[in-house]
Amino acid sequence: MGKPRLLPSVVKNLTLKPATIQYPYVRTEVEASFRGRHYADLQKCTGCSLCAIECPADAIVMYQIPAGFQAPKINPRRIFPRIDYGRCVFCYRCVAVCPFNAYVTTNFYELAGPRKNDSVELSLKTLKGERSVS
Amino acid sequence: MVDKVIEIPVSVEIPVGPQHPALHEPVLLKAYADGEVVVKVEVNTGYNHRGIEKLLEVNSFYKDIFIVGRVCGICNTVHTNVYVRALEQILGVEPCRRARYLRVLAMELERIHSHMLINAVMAEVIGFDTLFMNIMLDREKVMKAKELLTGGRVMADYMMVGGVRRDLSDEDAGRLARIISSVRERLEYYKKVFEEDITIGKRLVNVGVLKRRDAVSHSLLGPVARGSGVRIDARVSDKYDAYDELKPEVVVRDEGDSWARMMVRWGEALISADLSLRVLQSLPRDCNPVPDEKKLPRKLPAGEAYTRVEAPRGELTYFVMSDGGVNPYRVKIRTPSFTNIINSAFLYEGYTIADLPVILASLDPCISCMERALVTDLKTGSRKVIPFTELSRGGGKWGSRGYYLQ
Repeated sequence: MGKPRLLPSVVKNLTLKPATIQYPYVRTEVEASFRGRHYADLQKCTGCSLCAIECPADAIVMYQIPAGFQAPKINPRRIFPRIDYGRCVFCYRCVAVCPFNAYVTTNFYELAGPRKNDSVELSLKTLKGERSVS
Repeated sequence: MVDKVIEIPVSVEIPVGPQHPALHEPVLLKAYADGEVVVKVEVNTGYNHRGIEKLLEVNSFYKDIFIVGRVCGICNTVHTNVYVRALEQILGVEPCRRARYLRVLAMELERIHSHMLINAVMAEVIGFDTLFMNIMLDREKVMKAKELLTGGRVMADYMMVGGVRRDLSDEDAGRLARIISSVRERLEYYKKVFEEDITIGKRLVNVGVLKRRDAVSHSLLGPVARGSGVRIDARVSDKYDAYDELKPEVVVRDEGDSWARMMVRWGEALISADLSLRVLQSLPRDCNPVPDEKKLPRKLPAGEAYTRVEAPRGELTYFVMSDGGVNPYRVKIRTPSFTNIINSAFLYEGYTIADLPVILASLDPCISCMERALVTDLKTGSRKVIPFTELSRGGGKWGSRGYYLQ
């Protein structure tokens, strides 16, 4: 049994950059197609609740659009999916089963934090005429 | 006159486990030691009973695809694959060739990173931390490849009834091939390290020797059986998905010790890398591999299916029974770790306490790896908690093999 030749590895490693990165300052690169944070586009959502029924993690609850927002006519019940990112397993089953392709997908993954973390704000931003009625 | 002397050995009971966050399922190994030599090991399980089989019965067939993936994080692709194939058998659906090739690619990538992980853990257990970090660094490349293919680093959620959940573009296929080629070079290097390094040889060779007849009589599976000369591989015997066309080579070694089991894993990882490259070169273009999930039937006809798959740890089987409703009537899972860990308590006998984590790691346990051990001296009743790494490295009064004490 001989020893692996270490010297070339040592010299090579002296010239290499460190393998670790300074995470909060340097972002980890993820693919554009990585399954990250997703939310419903309320211009397309009809409030059919199929995503809430199909969610394997029970992370989606249908939520009432607050009174100050104008809901599109296709959504007469004024409800939309609220995704609890703490429960979500990012399987994208909701994205796949949505009959109106209403989900907006991103590769955003930095979701850990002390704050309450759900998709209400992001979804409501997609509505036009935000707080236009009183 | 004394004509009979009854010698009572000082036996030490060492509960190993049951909790550690590093590996998945917690298990307790209760080892009885006479001095340094382990005389008996009891395996206690049940610390991680999550009721998944019952959970599957109260959720729909399609929700269950994502729940079975959470049985085990490392083997999530094979778990979903074997479940989805069971559903396809009940439905009578056959996925097209491109989908079957992509499934094989995802499963082989998983095999590579699983084998790299357990070899890295083995390096850590024997105190070779640099090797652990090097292997884990190269494992990141495989995780990147998995992210490219499936959209998730670990949880793939890639299988769907009738195909896979996303297609692979030609550009990504080229990137994948480059990543796998670079990983293959590193795999060869690590295999050489495990063959030639003196420390690894001293800690692994002739430790936990498993005879061929014991491997068969105790129903051991996967690389553990293949390390003892048993030619068992569900990929070859069942020829599921695209394995009938790809024909993977089965790595078998006859030594039967911990070293042979690790070398089987390196050999398999290399073959998986070759297989992945072959899949990428000969990826068929016969159809769109992504089925429309909205159009899949909600109810499945009554029937039952029994499918198996070669997981990184051995043969994994699923029994799915449908009564014609929305939810499965029964899903029975048998994982390879179950037989490999529970039936292998005899393996530890006759070896030292320091060999215990080595033998356990060589079985590729899908269970909690042990960090701390509670040592109870049965004679005095005193208890002492010592770090398990100290045990495995032979430090202090638990020093046995003495390689680190020189």
